[in-house]
Amino acid sequence: MSDESPDQVPGVASSDSGMDGRIARLLRVGTYVAVTLIAIGVVLMLATGRSPLDVAPDFDPARLIADLVGLQPAGFLWLGLVVVLLTPAARVAVSGLGYARVGDRSMALIAGLVLVVILTGVLIGTPGLLSSIGA
Amino acid sequence: MDVALLMLVGGIGVGIFGSLLGLGGGLLIVPLLTLGFHLPLREAIGVSLVCVIVTSGASASVFLERRVANLRLGMTLELFTAIGALLGGLIAFLLDERVLAGLFSVLMTYVAVTMLRRRSGPTPDMVEASPGPVQDASSFTARLSGPGYRVRNLGPGLVGSVFAGVASALLGIGGGLIKVPVLHVVMGVPLRVATATSNLVIGITASTSAWIYLLRGGIDPYAAGPTAIGVFVGASIGSRVAHRIDLGALRLLFSAVLLYTAFQMLRRAAGIQ
Repeated sequence: MSDESPDQVPGVASSDSGMDGRIARLLRVGTYVAVTLIAIGVVLMLATGRSPLDVAPDFDPARLIADLVGLQPAGFLWLGLVVVLLTPAARVAVSGLGYARVGDRSMALIAGLVLVVILTGVLIGTPGLLSSIGA
Repeated sequence: MDVALLMLVGGIGVGIFGSLLGLGGGLLIVPLLTLGFHLPLREAIGVSLVCVIVTSGASASVFLERRVANLRLGMTLELFTAIGALLGGLIAFLLDERVLAGLFSVLMTYVAVTMLRRRSGPTPDMVEASPGPVQDASSFTARLSGPGYRVRNLGPGLVGSVFAGVASALLGIGGGLIKVPVLHVVMGVPLRVATATSNLVIGITASTSAWIYLLRGGIDPYAAGPTAIGVFVGASIGSRVAHRIDLGALRLLFSAVLLYTAFQMLRRAAGIQ
């Protein structure tokens, strides 16, 4: 978080002003939802005596619902972490759609390309996919 | 005290310090987790990436709402920081942890020396934003500019962004240390807009490599949870009390902490620890 006070300098083209507000709300809601989920996970960790040094279960989307229903800390922590990582991508997607709607094709294209790069990261990271690259 | 609570308190301390000094938490989270809690370096970097996304998300929303961040410029740069982060995320899993520790040590020494120099003289990168050469209003660069300033040197700025992305993914930092000077000094963006826009770009930069870390088992949720909550709370406190603190003395203290931590990281890189 920066110590700059952001009150004084208007720094963006006026055509983006409506979109800025929407995206700001999206970022804020995404951040607070993620922080709430992670905080619930931390409270459950403390309540069940789990330590950060214990071996945590791997990320497994198929187990997520069962862990949430069973009030397992890992379920809330993993879901919170996924929301953390999805929020910036959602911001880009919403911006891209906004630019496409007003006919700004170059910015919509850039937003699309950013999402392609993120998706490439997800594919590279997924075990078994592109496993010849890296560890 | 419970280790989770200790991590939470450590995260709060890091969040306060990072926020007061405008550094974000990344530079301090990795040493906290590796030297303080003996987490593997790569896991600490993964946790740090999560923390910088959380803190930047909250402040970026404020900057956008107040229309300080330049969304078009930010999105253009983040395409290139994301490409850099993708490369960095791949390289991070190929490099020996001792190499990463060595790189981290170099970065901390650089920041500590920069802070000490800033205490003793005028800030070197405080250049005035330039109106720049007259551009065709329909050109892409012109459309990235904002009221009162024109973006210049887009090419070098994009190259700097790739570099910032690689550094972010390798070291678990937001990359503002590179992006703000690139935006301000190289591209001629006013410092406040540069800081706000860099903050916005951190989310995409860090999340691109964080996906690789998360899916390859490089993020431990039990360590990430307490640390992220601590850093988030600490950063919120820091941003509220910043105006009441003597930052000069704090910078001196922080530089000493950084130099000591850089020495510890160097020992780790040399295999002594």
